Amino acid sequence: MRALVIDDSRAMRRIVSGILEGLGYETQQAGHGREGLDALEGLAPDQLPDLVCVDWNMPVMDGLQFVSAVRSNPGWRSMTIMMVTSESEHTQIVRALAAGAHEYVIKPFTADAIRDKLALLGLLPQEAVL
Amino acid sequence: MTTLDSGERRRTSDTRPVITDLIDEVTVESIAQEAWISLVGEDEVLVPLPGGPVADPVSSWVDVVGPWTGSVVLTTGRRTAEELTRALLREHSPEVLEDEDVADAFGEIANVVGGNVKAALPGSSGLSLPDVGEAPALRNPDDLCRVELQWRGEPLSISVQGALPPLPAVS
Amino acid sequence: MTLTTTSFDWVRHLVHKESAIVLQPGKEYLVEARLLPIARQAGLTDVSQFVESVRIRPDADSTRRIVEALTTNETSWFRDGDPFTALTSTVLPSLLGARGPNERLQIWSAACSSGQESYTIAMLLEDALPNAASRVSITATDISREMVERTRAGRFSQLEVNRGLPAPMLVRHFTRAGTEWEVAPALRRMVTASQCNLAAPLPRMGPFDVVYLRNVLIYFDLPTKQAILRRVRDLMRPDGWLFLGAAETTLGVDDSWERVVVGRSSAYRPLKGK
Ligand SMILES: C[S@@+](CC[C@H](N)C(=O)[O-])C[C@H]1O[C@@H](n2cnc3c(N)ncnc32)[C@H](O)[C@@H]1O
Repeated sequence: MRALVIDDSRAMRRIVSGILEGLGYETQQAGHGREGLDALEGLAPDQLPDLVCVDWNMPVMDGLQFVSAVRSNPGWRSMTIMMVTSESEHTQIVRALAAGAHEYVIKPFTADAIRDKLALLGLLPQEAVL
Repeated sequence: MTTLDSGERRRTSDTRPVITDLIDEVTVESIAQEAWISLVGEDEVLVPLPGGPVADPVSSWVDVVGPWTGSVVLTTGRRTAEELTRALLREHSPEVLEDEDVADAFGEIANVVGGNVKAALPGSSGLSLPDVGEAPALRNPDDLCRVELQWRGEPLSISVQGALPPLPAVS
Repeated sequence: MTLTTTSFDWVRHLVHKESAIVLQPGKEYLVEARLLPIARQAGLTDVSQFVESVRIRPDADSTRRIVEALTTNETSWFRDGDPFTALTSTVLPSLLGARGPNERLQIWSAACSSGQESYTIAMLLEDALPNAASRVSITATDISREMVERTRAGRFSQLEVNRGLPAPMLVRHFTRAGTEWEVAPALRRMVTASQCNLAAPLPRMGPFDVVYLRNVLIYFDLPTKQAILRRVRDLMRPDGWLFLGAAETTLGVDDSWERVVVGRSSAYRPLKGK
């Protein structure tokens, strides 16, 4: 399975990618929403990542705008979007879900948190199940 | 009638809250502890004891804008910030750390702590991207919630500090 | 500062006597790590010193704290998924069909830890049943008073809500309380938490339609597992359902259960005539 990890912090990109790779994902990274869209642009449906982990507060294009952009493209419906952000108010989570995010992980998180959420979404690669 | 400028009176009469009305040290410390456990490492604890003066300090902060406006500022020694960066990056840590790596990692810690401080405040507020360098000046000593901690024996402080100068005294 | 054999053995026996939890030799490090905070609170820096002082003059409060400190309270929302999917897809419809409209369903979370299991069940029922609170009651028990208190409070840290709670359910059933999240009053009303040692005679409870006895039998020896399964069975309705943890089974332990497959999970049902 493939994942795209979008965060303006390189350290955080590495942490999230490291966790996903440990679970059997192939990962690709982007530094903000626009870069994330660029990475998706022109991909054939079978090349799209299964999962996108995206931060909220980023320069150029934030995570919420990214989610809305992805959701407005019918060709990108197959991707599951999980926000991974320190934005943690009730209202913010509601906004992200309304914009089309499927899941939401609040920073700080542990590796188990990512794993548990992927299990819920049915997105744990086979080798990581039990 | 003459009125003494007691902070008490001001607090009850004006509409601009100071941070100590909204959050306490225990809350800030518990937010930091959770951030440390998950970002820095499972066994990494912040010891709630002042660690004395910081040599060669560096700060990272995020601004919170809303009913209360100010910054959440982490300050520690440059060496400690580097050590934090290595702890964060684990096996991905480069041989030689660039300033940029430290700014990135230490800034992300401010983002995580700041985001959670923001969420513990009433009302809705915005959060800025993190900044790293010399801490923003303290504008109002009464609008400050500060915790002093130690990580691996080195001092580290977290200040939640208002961005606005005190209101003029009522006279 | 290593734990002496005498201290370790005394702790081992105490914990076994009070909770039936088996601490194998070699778990000295665990005892040290878990007891250090309590020793510190007692003003001592050395775990052996602390254990010795309690051993020589045992008091109920210290021994209770030692036992509680050696329970493992690891838990998460929707742990392993399937036993909870089974509840709404199979168990609940079958029970609703079998019971009268005014009969209240009784569910037991028998080693509830900090309450994630109990409230996972409560959320599912609330979403599946109109007036859930008047039709179902959930009994949550644990040997640890601290865990019972936590379940009762229904407050969870950021790190805890991150562990397996779907975001749509978080926003539907929780509000923020400072740095924590608090479960909605309607769910809290469904759950009654109390202290209960599974390894001792059980209080009068139930009869239960569904029992979640998950990730706790693993800590016990065979005779204790057998005794617990028997006591649990006595508190269940004859057509009730028992869910165990992923690494637990009644097979080879107690033959008075029938294992049934429910979706991708297995449940156990009391065998008639046993
Ligand atoms: C690993 S947790 C399991 C929590 C939950 N059932 C789950 O599956 O996530 C085990 C719990 O069993 C409790 N426990 C251990 N010994 C017990 C006993 N003798 N009686 C009742 N509870 C016990 C512990 O306090 C702990 O909270």
